Amino acid sequence: MMTGVHFPSLSRREALTRFGGGLGSIALASLMGRAAAAEGAPAAHLTARPKAKRIIYLFQSGGPSQLDLFDYKPRLSAEQGKELPEEVRMGQRLTGMSGNQASLPLVGSPFQFAQHGKSGQWFSELLPYTSMIADDITVVKSMFTEAINHGPGVTMMQTGAQIGGRPSIGSWLSYGLGSMNENLPAFVVLVTKGMKGQPLVSRLWGSGFLPGEHDGVRFNPDKDAVLYLNNPPGLDTTSRRRMLDRLEELHRIQLAKSGDSVLETRIAQYEMGFRMQSSIPEVTDFADEPDSTYQLYGEDARTPGTYAANCLMARRLAERGVQFIQLYHQDWDHHGGLPGGIKSKCRETDQASAALVTDLKQRGLLEDTLVIWGGEFGRTNYCQGKFNAANFGRDHHPRCFSMWMAGGGIKAGHSHGLTDDYGYNVAAGGVHVHDFHATILHLLGIDHERLTFQYQGRHFRLTDVHGHLVKEILA
Amino acid sequence: MKRFTCYLAICLAAVQAQAQKIEFNRDIRPILSDKCFACHGPDAKNAKSEYRLDTFDHATTAVDGVTGIVPGKLKDSEVHWRIHSDDASEVMPPPESKRSLNPAEIALLDRWIEQGAEYQKHWSFVPVPAEVPVPKVASDWVKNGIDAFVLTKLQEKGFSPSPETSREKWLRRVTFDLTGLPPTPTELDAFLADSNPDAYEKVVDRLLASEASAERLTAEWLDVARYSDSYGFQVDGDRFVWPWRDWVIRAFRENLPYDDFITWQLAGDLLPDATRDQKLATAFNRLHPQNVEGGSVPEEFRVEYVADRVHTYGTAFLGLTMECSRCHDHKYDPITAKDYYSLSAFFANIDEAGLYSYFTPAVPTPTLWLPDPKQEEELARISAEVAALEKDLASRITSAKSDYETWLAAQTTPATLPAPIAAHDFDELVGGGFPNLVAKGAAAKTNANNVLVAGRRGQAVKLTGDDAVTLGVGNFSRSDPFSVSLWMQTPDRKARAVVLSRSKAWTDAASRGYELLIEKGKLNAALVHYEPGNALRVQTKNEFPVGSWHHVALTYDGSSRAAGLRLYVDGEEAPIEIVRDKLTREITGGGSDTIVIGERMRDSGFKNGLVDDFRVYDRNLSGAAVKSLASDAATFTPDPHYFLTEHDAASRELRGRLLEKRKEQSALVEKIPEIMVMAELEGKARETHLLERGSYLTPAEVVAPATPAFLPSMPADAPKDRLGLAQWTVSAENPLPARVTVNRYWQRLFLNGLVATAEDFGSQGRLPTHPELLDWLARDFVNHGWDLRHLLKTIVLSATYRQSSNVASGELATIDPENTLLYRYPAPRLTAEMLRDNALAVSGLLVNQVGGPSVKPYDIEFAFKPSSPDKGPGLYRRSVYTYMRQTAPSPLMTTLNASKRDVCQVKIERTDSPLQGLVMLNAPQFAEAARVLAAKLVAQHGDDDAALVKDAFRRLTSRLPDDEERMVLSSLLAEQQTHFESRPGDAKALLAAGGSAPSQTTQPARVAAAATLVSTLLNFDESLSKR
Repeated sequence: MMTGVHFPSLSRREALTRFGGGLGSIALASLMGRAAAAEGAPAAHLTARPKAKRIIYLFQSGGPSQLDLFDYKPRLSAEQGKELPEEVRMGQRLTGMSGNQASLPLVGSPFQFAQHGKSGQWFSELLPYTSMIADDITVVKSMFTEAINHGPGVTMMQTGAQIGGRPSIGSWLSYGLGSMNENLPAFVVLVTKGMKGQPLVSRLWGSGFLPGEHDGVRFNPDKDAVLYLNNPPGLDTTSRRRMLDRLEELHRIQLAKSGDSVLETRIAQYEMGFRMQSSIPEVTDFADEPDSTYQLYGEDARTPGTYAANCLMARRLAERGVQFIQLYHQDWDHHGGLPGGIKSKCRETDQASAALVTDLKQRGLLEDTLVIWGGEFGRTNYCQGKFNAANFGRDHHPRCFSMWMAGGGIKAGHSHGLTDDYGYNVAAGGVHVHDFHATILHLLGIDHERLTFQYQGRHFRLTDVHGHLVKEILA
Repeated sequence: MKRFTCYLAICLAAVQAQAQKIEFNRDIRPILSDKCFACHGPDAKNAKSEYRLDTFDHATTAVDGVTGIVPGKLKDSEVHWRIHSDDASEVMPPPESKRSLNPAEIALLDRWIEQGAEYQKHWSFVPVPAEVPVPKVASDWVKNGIDAFVLTKLQEKGFSPSPETSREKWLRRVTFDLTGLPPTPTELDAFLADSNPDAYEKVVDRLLASEASAERLTAEWLDVARYSDSYGFQVDGDRFVWPWRDWVIRAFRENLPYDDFITWQLAGDLLPDATRDQKLATAFNRLHPQNVEGGSVPEEFRVEYVADRVHTYGTAFLGLTMECSRCHDHKYDPITAKDYYSLSAFFANIDEAGLYSYFTPAVPTPTLWLPDPKQEEELARISAEVAALEKDLASRITSAKSDYETWLAAQTTPATLPAPIAAHDFDELVGGGFPNLVAKGAAAKTNANNVLVAGRRGQAVKLTGDDAVTLGVGNFSRSDPFSVSLWMQTPDRKARAVVLSRSKAWTDAASRGYELLIEKGKLNAALVHYEPGNALRVQTKNEFPVGSWHHVALTYDGSSRAAGLRLYVDGEEAPIEIVRDKLTREITGGGSDTIVIGERMRDSGFKNGLVDDFRVYDRNLSGAAVKSLASDAATFTPDPHYFLTEHDAASRELRGRLLEKRKEQSALVEKIPEIMVMAELEGKARETHLLERGSYLTPAEVVAPATPAFLPSMPADAPKDRLGLAQWTVSAENPLPARVTVNRYWQRLFLNGLVATAEDFGSQGRLPTHPELLDWLARDFVNHGWDLRHLLKTIVLSATYRQSSNVASGELATIDPENTLLYRYPAPRLTAEMLRDNALAVSGLLVNQVGGPSVKPYDIEFAFKPSSPDKGPGLYRRSVYTYMRQTAPSPLMTTLNASKRDVCQVKIERTDSPLQGLVMLNAPQFAEAARVLAAKLVAQHGDDDAALVKDAFRRLTSRLPDDEERMVLSSLLAEQQTHFESRPGDAKALLAAGGSAPSQTTQPARVAAAATLVSTLLNFDESLSKR
């Protein structure tokens, strides 16, 4: 219910009373944050016919090196070791990590690049599986942002602002679209277990100033997939069912006495919780997956909490109507030892990322599922620290980086945007983070300028006061 | 259906509008603000149109020959035509703004123009009237002023208030509201038995005087103050700030007048003879998130910290959305960007770094020391001893003059230089090292990038600026005298270059250690505990010559004073200016424990710099000795300093004792905790600039500290610092803080404030539902000396607060679903803190200990960044003490809608989600409470089902069950008991929930069944809410 848009400070409960009628279903809808459209109220932000019904966002935290994966720059190898020309850098700010270096030597990628598929997209040898889905994806090579450090950078990608406190993309979608499955959260977060690297923070999937029900729900690969999902030891389902039945009786008595519709919400709240106790284990239990699944995603997918297992989980959640599935994989922050480091990151992610796209396609889900792969910024064309062609590092680089997207209304087999020969600046078709956000909202049928929430007197948007639809990548 | 209802409401508003005179603040400003001001409002600079609608003068002035509003003349007013236009290129608001006016709004604007287009000053910017008359109402329902206002408004609409609630329910409400805990059965009995007329008042006085009340009020203030036990941002390390939280508890316990509560937090340090608590209170302005991420630009984050202080100040005290003016003039309120930065200048003038230290646990400056009484006494004693020794030494130095002359006359051979502890002539590179001329001394290590070139004498090392030359010595403390002597040549004028340092890193270690730099062409030396606020730093007045060899020496006397740090160039003491002179803590630590030449982590190295003949001494060299080093003379004529430090037994003995004593002092100081506070920068104030588009990269004009121009100005003689700001904030002329404060407390008790947008009293905020009541409360609050207890007492003793929470049926429910008329008590769900504390209290598990370090209950184990839960008492403390990590807060608390504490939050959030149900039913905190209470109930009532059910129900809801409820619960108990009787293993497991010893009982099945009964009741609405 989009009460926030029109009656910003109206609580859900009061909204229920205001709009009256069909309390049970509305109580349920309110708990699910179901979109206003479902209730027949005006929902001005829902404009276009959605191309995508859900998003799976494979976030690669730390800033993967576009120069060693997607953005082929032979000139860097040709000018290896030479100083970054000042006319390329143009006095732009660097981080404090390499900004005080006495020298900024260019470094080419040690990995082989080749063209793949009918579309002839370039990929390095580090991405053999992604190369095979070249004709299913759009690679955007001209992403850019302002942030030069991880905290602000990741926060920008996930919330549209560098400083915390704003809602994440998934929260905006939960708020704007509601949930399609009353037994599962609308916004699920899966973080690869046991990763090192730059820390993530829970605010990245937080609802900011939106109501707390739009927080992302993190599925934990350990015992309780969701916080305290399981009954305490000694309490079985029978016992719990009877407790809830009696609780409902108490609430019905109270409802009759007080006339307060919040009691309807209470009843629905506990019933949904009870159903989640079975629907969540059902989705997290892979017992019904055939061996062919693991051939596709890789054997890693058998181990809960791995990136591959999370990709598979994402497909299972997508099948069950979860709208926004956010994966995080850490440790792409290769300031040093990049050749070895990036290899192991690709080993962890390449097969499963491609498998997810292939799997969704086979199941007919890709056409209305938007899959996104990318980090918070790119990496420099020069070497951080001492120059060593075999074992170098790259610093953070916000001025250009690459991402790929697939399905859900995105062109298949397409490459968008260009960077200069040094891979330092965007040369054509720049896509700012706000443009990226505007575009993904558009694919879900949302006008990014109309999906607003009034907070502190302002009508806040995911895209602040910016954002242009990137029409060139729409199918 | 909903569309229809909305339409109905709009029509109704339109009809009402026709019936009464249009009032600008009530009817028109909300429309103009939301739909028009973005382009035709106060932010003239960035507006797309020259035409403004925010003041009468602007609105009625012709622009290009067209007049927007001609008062009383609709047809002559361009605004009228534009809002009615069908032409997409003409209509206002334009389609691309994605705002539109509905027919009722258009009708209102028309009528307003017809009636003369009168403007009013925004309601909250008008001073609180000196007297607010209470409406005369003849009704015995009225208990105090509040009720007269509420009843008048209800009667105007033709309604009456709800009946009074039961005594039990009132006691439950007021106990939770004032203490955050449920009433005990004993308290219930006592109140029910007290038929005296002052029974209610006695309860309120008892509650307000309790420690629990101070804790409850503190929990609320922590949300406003964005309190957390960690620094936030990405790395989010732990920080030591809980003593500030304990001060808040003390302040509420002592009922510190609220204007003082505000003043101390803003400027306690600037009060005359400020006490420790007054200084401690200012930690309020340091509780914002702070960053340490490597490679970040410090200035970017320093600016962010100052901005957070401005936003928090604006929200907490003025109810204004200052952040909107950070990048441009406010779009809705008359706050300019200049106002914003002028206000920020008050908060910027402290000696702080933009990043805290990653490699050392140092507390970001400025700080306040918090010694315990024993430490305080010891520190005073040792400091006095140090001072006495320093005095003795000084007098020995004076008196030694004749001894020196006698001694000098007796010398037959010239003096020789003291032996260095390391000496490198950089004449050869052997196995990756520069040999040490000191016997058995370690070579200075380097990689192959630093090369040998022709030196001043023999060879010298040429530095790349990215590669270190690492010595084997140099880990001096701030009490150790030491000296460094070298020859150096810089190829160019360096903006910044590290010549040498004993320091792990620059910003990443807050420069901990000592260093010799070239800064803007000048030599610059420092001893640093935490840059910039705890350091000695001196800089030469002259620039260091470029392109030639010069001898440089740094000498230090171990005094922790800038006067003890000298720089010599070519044997002469260089004229210097003192940049910082406040070193009070140790300079060792952080890693990289020896001298490194030419490079430092993430700092600018000495690129292409040359260094030759490098010597390190474990003593404070005399000027004569330095001169001889600079002139390559092995011998020299001793000066008095040389005599005193090398030969005079009396002063050598005093120096030895002084060194010991200073080390003792330093060791003690290391143990004294310190906390971040506010303290004015010494000397010249920091310049604050207006930042274009809010970015630190685009500083514009310099602004002086000033309060927003549209509000009453500061008195001319008021200090232009935080104290002046604090005095202005709580002054009688300021229309906002008293209103904002009473509204926030009203909101805490009634869920919604009289102004529903507690965070925004500006143009975009909601209008007060009872403006006169708000003003009456604000005036009464101020007249009673900002007495918070008086305010709370007035509210909870009102008849308004005593109403039943039942929802009205019929017309009232349709007209007022939001209860804006206050026709009933709103029955808010308990806060996260109350829900958890309630379970602890009713089960008797609550550990009532006031204050101290934060604790980690069970669920911290499931936080996004988990840590081990406490064992024992830490599991059972009140939730105000729960460890709050910004990037991974307690998942239990946040699921139950606790504030996330990353920004100032004054608005209460209550949502209902299935995940809350799971937490309330399954979390060990609640499961344990349920089984512990169950065991008590069974022990007390045995097999008496009726008594057990009755007692359990009363403990959880503060009332007795009715027959229907009793039947439901008796059935529950019976069926669960049968269930557990056939599953003894399950019963045993359930009775072991949580960390306390499993419940001992001879009837495990019955206790388990009673535990499910308690658990059910913990989730019953009347236990979850204040009914």
